[in-house]
Amino acid sequence: MPVTPPRTLTELFLGFLSIGARSFGGVLPWAHRVMVEERRWLAPADFAETIGLCQFLPGPNIGNASIVLGKRWFGVRGALVAFLGLVALPFVWVLALGAVYADYATVPLVKGIVTGVGAAGAGLFIGTAIKLGRALARNPTALVLVAACFLAVALGRVSLLYVLPVALALAIVAARREWL
Amino acid sequence: MALTLLELALYFGLLSVVAFGGMPAVMPEMQRIVVEVKEWTSPVEFIQLFAVAQAAPGPNVLIASLIGWKAAGLAGAVVALLAVCGPAAVIAWWVADLWDRFKDSPWRLAIQRAIAPIVVALILSGGYVIATPDGTPDWRMWLIAAASAAAVLATRANPLWMIAGGALMGALLLS
Repeated sequence: MPVTPPRTLTELFLGFLSIGARSFGGVLPWAHRVMVEERRWLAPADFAETIGLCQFLPGPNIGNASIVLGKRWFGVRGALVAFLGLVALPFVWVLALGAVYADYATVPLVKGIVTGVGAAGAGLFIGTAIKLGRALARNPTALVLVAACFLAVALGRVSLLYVLPVALALAIVAARREWL
Repeated sequence: MALTLLELALYFGLLSVVAFGGMPAVMPEMQRIVVEVKEWTSPVEFIQLFAVAQAAPGPNVLIASLIGWKAAGLAGAVVALLAVCGPAAVIAWWVADLWDRFKDSPWRLAIQRAIAPIVVALILSGGYVIATPDGTPDWRMWLIAAASAAAVLATRANPLWMIAGGALMGALLLS
């Protein structure tokens, strides 16, 4: 199947707009559907590699992907257009939903439903962490590092600005010594 | 007002550059800043804004807009969103090319292996902090979180089903 990158900035904008607009329950599957299956801007392997890089970089993964791909196709204008396309409609919708919610926030049923959704979202994170963590389960150094970071950040509530540099330095030393 | 906007830009800009593993990994730090340091929301409001961002379509980074909106209105929503995306976008812009060039470098491989366990711990912490808003465990919240985590591990269903399940369990258990 031939792959053709977007030809105009308008096409790029509309593609990312349709990703942002439809991405109920997570952006990644929709990004794949729009860019790989519907519009054929990218080959599947290319998509996977770009997402892999963006998951490694700090910041919102899919936001970073819009910057990297926009830059590849149209330079700085492409990066801005792709990013704006991605967030334009979700920005409006999340504020609209927030405003509606604020009106009903004192109704106990609404409060219960929304808090339940928050707890389910927390569960999504925990499930994702366990999925990612399976690959590390047989490595004692990795498990110690996971436990130490969790204790410091989740239970100790120590700022990430202290935990991250220390953990990263120790982990890179460990990785260079083949312990990770 | 102007001061609040400046603070939003600063704090969310800082979150942007430490968000290895994306937004889930930075939730504990965001909660600490928003609830404990700046008191822009109460612990319960924070989890509710998080829930609204989860339920709406779009990238989960939009929780930043909701917090900005709560702290400083529409301008706050725009500033917080741009601040949480901007610095990371600049890094992505520069690193994308470098990353290809160092494809086989032992340092690149070491950094990749080093970051993996830290990201796992931070995403796990993100889940824990959101499911435990006051710092004291509530079995109902933990039950909903555990059910949703189990569903992620056991099925490949769209996460929207877990969100819907959470809404239903919340209506029954938490209202």
